[in-house]
Amino acid sequence: MSAEVARLDLWARRRALLGYCAGMGLYTLVIVALYPQFKDSTSLDNITKNAPTLSALFGAIGSLTSPSGWLDANIYENFFPLVVLLLSIGYGASAIAGANQEGTLCLVATLPTARSRILVAKVGAMLAQGVALSLTVAVVIAAGRGFQLHLPLIHVGESSTAVFLLGADFGLLTLAIGAATGNRGVALAVGSGTAAASYLVSSLAPVVAWIRPARFASLFYWAVGNDQLTRGVTWAEMVVLVLIGVIASVLAVLAFERLDLG
Amino acid sequence: MTPAIETVGLTKTYGKNRGIVDLSLVVQPGEVFGFLGPNGAGKTTTIRALAGLQRPAGGVAKVLGYDCWAQAVEVHRHIGYLPGELRLFEAMTGTQHLSWFIRARGIDEPAGLADLLRRFEVVLDRPVGQLSTGNRQKLGIVLALMHEPQVLILDEPTSGLDPLMQEVFHRLVREAVEQGRTVFLSSHELDEVQRLADRVAIIREGRLVVTDTVEHLRSGAPRIIEVTLKRRVASRALAGLDGVRVIRSEGRRCTVELTGPIGPFLRVVAELDPVDLTARRADLDELFLGYYQEGQPARVG
Repeated sequence: MSAEVARLDLWARRRALLGYCAGMGLYTLVIVALYPQFKDSTSLDNITKNAPTLSALFGAIGSLTSPSGWLDANIYENFFPLVVLLLSIGYGASAIAGANQEGTLCLVATLPTARSRILVAKVGAMLAQGVALSLTVAVVIAAGRGFQLHLPLIHVGESSTAVFLLGADFGLLTLAIGAATGNRGVALAVGSGTAAASYLVSSLAPVVAWIRPARFASLFYWAVGNDQLTRGVTWAEMVVLVLIGVIASVLAVLAFERLDLG
Repeated sequence: MTPAIETVGLTKTYGKNRGIVDLSLVVQPGEVFGFLGPNGAGKTTTIRALAGLQRPAGGVAKVLGYDCWAQAVEVHRHIGYLPGELRLFEAMTGTQHLSWFIRARGIDEPAGLADLLRRFEVVLDRPVGQLSTGNRQKLGIVLALMHEPQVLILDEPTSGLDPLMQEVFHRLVREAVEQGRTVFLSSHELDEVQRLADRVAIIREGRLVVTDTVEHLRSGAPRIIEVTLKRRVASRALAGLDGVRVIRSEGRRCTVELTGPIGPFLRVVAELDPVDLTARRADLDELFLGYYQEGQPARVG
């Protein structure tokens, strides 16, 4: 029965999800298709050499002309996480707090289904959206081998999974804040504020010495900020990303079970 | 017999703000129970606590013996709930709502659903966002009733319905009670409550001020007396009497509320050359207003 809760939310967001997937897929295709024109450009690499801090702010570190450097600078370290975060934080804020403020949550919450199951269904809906988007990006990049973009597919798969988990973590954190406060605005602010801070810490850590020790506190560092596309994602990084998601989910369930609905 | 609904010392506060305080009531199976009070009195808070949506700060609320908060799933299995400010899924049609609720409740299509839809003339083929308030309310009522729950908890159920549909709703409530089901409804429509409810509770500033049968409330109610005199009324002559409150005085006509013995009143009126006199018991809305005057003691019957 709780699967119906997930199905309802996915149905309500089907157009937005299609739009996100189509837009991200198209953008990825353009980036992939442009690679042959830039792969031998030394001037591009000079940007990161001459202005490393500025480049780091935009998620560009090291060579921009290697396959992994090109994809990191244009997709994995900025645009892809940003779109995944928009999707997951947006849903995280609306799934409980937004629906409660809108007044539709009481229709769902008065079904003979435990609140914990309702919340798990919403977590499922969030993960399904993230999977759809991440899979779209991974598939388009895999197809990019035809554009001289050669890098191990396993690394593409792992990095796409890491970005998916990154989005899920912040989405679940937002869901938990929404379930604790019942306030969509607060959930959005905390979720997106934490994600922005996390991005800055991970991006600037390689070039700003005093930020460097804080990189372990940034989920971006564990997902995409440590050259994962080149070397693959380690088990330790996966465990951190999964663990944070599990903790956020448990907190969300506990908060939702105490939330007054109206 | 297990009461259909029971609250004992039910209290709900929102920070420093009052919600409901020490609210105790019992509703027996097969009863229609009217819950009256103006905006902000605590009706919706009580109803949300009964629907397992809000956690009491103190006391307990039970439906069919199940704790509304701790055993909310069991409560939800047995209730039909209509929120006061009904919000449906704007992009979904009536048909989609019905299909979804049937699947989400894990039930087969209810036998009486077609009859409900026909009687309420529910618009099924348009997104709810395009429907009028009344049409949304009709769909909301069908969603609350379709699984034939034992207890109906309805917050302002006829709000937005035209008189014909209100009558359809009233018939449904009577049929539900004939089948042994229980109806707990809040309403601003005192006339509606008077027609439907076996007992009523009046809530004021979060506290119950009276729970009684409509008949008993009316029998103990003040009389409303309208007197027409031959000459202009000297309302001061009437106002000075014990148990008399002048409600209106215009020209030769005067309306008073009488709570004391009628003898002294009639003796004074007799000396004022009366032409006509009518007396009736106060109806529920006059009673309701009376209970909202300061100083009325709480009474539970």
